Amino acid sequence: MRSEPIDPSGLEWSRVSPKYLRVRVLGWLLGSLIWLVIASVPLVLRLTGVWEPFPPGWLAWSLPALVLVIALWRGVLLPRQVAAIGYAERDDDLLVRQGVFFQRTMVVPYGRMQYVDIAVGPLQRAFGICTLKLHTASPATNALIPGLPTEEGTRLREQLSARGESRLAGL
Amino acid sequence: MTEPAGPSPQDPDLTAAGPVVNDRQGQGSAPQRAPDAVDSWRRVHFISPLVRGWIALVAILYFVGREWLEGLFDPGTRGRGPLPEGVGLLLAAAVLLGIVLLVAAAFFVSWYFTRYQVTDEHVRVHSGVLFRQQRQARLDRVQAIDVIQPLLARIFGLAELKFEVADAGESAVRLAFLKLDDATRLRATILARAAGVETDPEHPENIVEAPEREVVALKPGRVIGAAVLSGSTIVLVVGATSVFVLGVVLDAPFVATSFIPLAIGVGGAYWSALSTGYNFRAATSPDGIRMRYGLLDTRSQTVPPGRVQALGIVQSPLWRTKGWYRVSVNVAGYGLAASNDGQARATLLPVGTREEVLQILALVLPDPGTERPVELFSAGMTGRDDVEGFRTTPRRARWLAPLAWRRNGFAVTSTALLMRSGVLWRQLVVVPHERTQSLSIEQGPLDRRFRVSSLQFQTTPGPVTPRVLQADSGTAWELFHGQAARAAEARRRSAPEQWMKPVVEPTRSSEPGETMPEAPRYVPDQTREGAPHELR
Repeated sequence: MRSEPIDPSGLEWSRVSPKYLRVRVLGWLLGSLIWLVIASVPLVLRLTGVWEPFPPGWLAWSLPALVLVIALWRGVLLPRQVAAIGYAERDDDLLVRQGVFFQRTMVVPYGRMQYVDIAVGPLQRAFGICTLKLHTASPATNALIPGLPTEEGTRLREQLSARGESRLAGL
Repeated sequence: MTEPAGPSPQDPDLTAAGPVVNDRQGQGSAPQRAPDAVDSWRRVHFISPLVRGWIALVAILYFVGREWLEGLFDPGTRGRGPLPEGVGLLLAAAVLLGIVLLVAAAFFVSWYFTRYQVTDEHVRVHSGVLFRQQRQARLDRVQAIDVIQPLLARIFGLAELKFEVADAGESAVRLAFLKLDDATRLRATILARAAGVETDPEHPENIVEAPEREVVALKPGRVIGAAVLSGSTIVLVVGATSVFVLGVVLDAPFVATSFIPLAIGVGGAYWSALSTGYNFRAATSPDGIRMRYGLLDTRSQTVPPGRVQALGIVQSPLWRTKGWYRVSVNVAGYGLAASNDGQARATLLPVGTREEVLQILALVLPDPGTERPVELFSAGMTGRDDVEGFRTTPRRARWLAPLAWRRNGFAVTSTALLMRSGVLWRQLVVVPHERTQSLSIEQGPLDRRFRVSSLQFQTTPGPVTPRVLQADSGTAWELFHGQAARAAEARRRSAPEQWMKPVVEPTRSSEPGETMPEAPRYVPDQTREGAPHELR
């Protein structure tokens, strides 16, 4: 995967499934459509003549236009955002990275994991992927790996649990 | 869909059912017999329903009394008394008495059905009448024990005992109320068993509280001074000035009344600072750090060794004139309570000089992991730039933090990580390596432009937030990987949960008359005066 300036050297990142991009694109299409419909309401009312004087024409037009531009920008970013998600299993800990503009890399020691969650939504199930979440004693630990193929998610969960057990630590 | 993670990463007792087994069941099921019952079941003290219920009684009397008073002054009913037409005084009194008796009976029944038991490994509490609750917490999972005496309980010589585990919120076990002697004895028993102390097999009841040595005692003058010089005073001065100026400018007559909410707020802050800092004493004992404080309500807290997840030292601007600091900690059992009580619980030292802070630090971190602890921690509290090996924000990024860039920094010893920040509110955060839960490194677009990164350390919830702001990217990555390795190494070496059990010799027995050795203390490094501290 593409190396970013924030990346540590000599680390092999695993990428998430390319299907996750499709899930995100579908979600993005749906979300953008809904926002666009909402933003077009004043324009439609203006054009049909229900609202006469108040929203000036330029305002009624610029609102959906703005929403469209933001949606397109998010759509352009989507592939890079998905490509930026990565994880790496090391001997003692798991690294998770994300973000294009605001990059973040998190390290969670196996011995610190309290439990592991796997979540699958209906759309994700249709594409055969899942989301894995690690929990430590700190609620601020936000280690989330979305878009794992189901069998990889299961493998990772078992692996993490086994490694956590072999590196017992309390708090 | 959420499913648990197969085999647990923790030992089965913590994750399989959590440290607290919480069994709620409906009516009719018989309580199970404890398999390892050593002590018999007990109830809390007989008059505790009264102490707990007095607020309810006062509330009833208040409402009734208010109605009555209003009735007296109401012109419509004047002279006829408060009662509706045709209702005798006797009947009203009977109804009132009935309500009071009903409330008393409810408290009594709740008291009767609440029983507790402390065995070798667990503390169990059974409560509830219709919906029964059986709770069982493992003793070696104890994060902290508090013995609290609210004012009314103090009058009766009673105390409440709180047993905290790492669920960051409400207490796992609350016993309200016990006789003070019983509460302290129970605390000693729990701590001794949690610590794994060998007891006399013939007299298992014969447990003496661990000896302690006082480390810090605050005089009332200091506490009052600290309250006067606290941030509340700044709020008061700023608020009063702005109200006054507004009043003059607008020529409005509401000046005096608008002081009232301000005065109430600031007065409340002063009062809570005074009542929680009054008579504050910190002591060290084999069971950990002991704290006692309180003006009307008194509290006695015990934090066993290795339970402090992160420690923060803060100095507010006015305190700088006196050289005072406040020390607060993240302890898993205390959680993130926003109330005054919660803040007071997480405070290890409400106000202290540099020497006292160092003394408290020595209790939390007996091995500072450096040869120059006094110099290093002093540099963390007041210093700036790279004194004593602190790594600060590089000069190129000074516009990201125009004031604080010379303070923002970190230093690493072999046992802990020190994070320094803030110019007006100076702050130093200390995290022992083995207590790091997870850490993340972050970089935004602006950070990338200046080649800096920030680090966030996740710990259990509490008042302390450990983070390193705007460190040089290369240094930050070095710290990120180094810290992950150091934390893993420290966890392998870290002390066991039962802090007394595997140490070489039993330092504590059930024999009375034992004395506590000298408290650990940092000594200044005389050999290398002025020599720069090496980053390890």
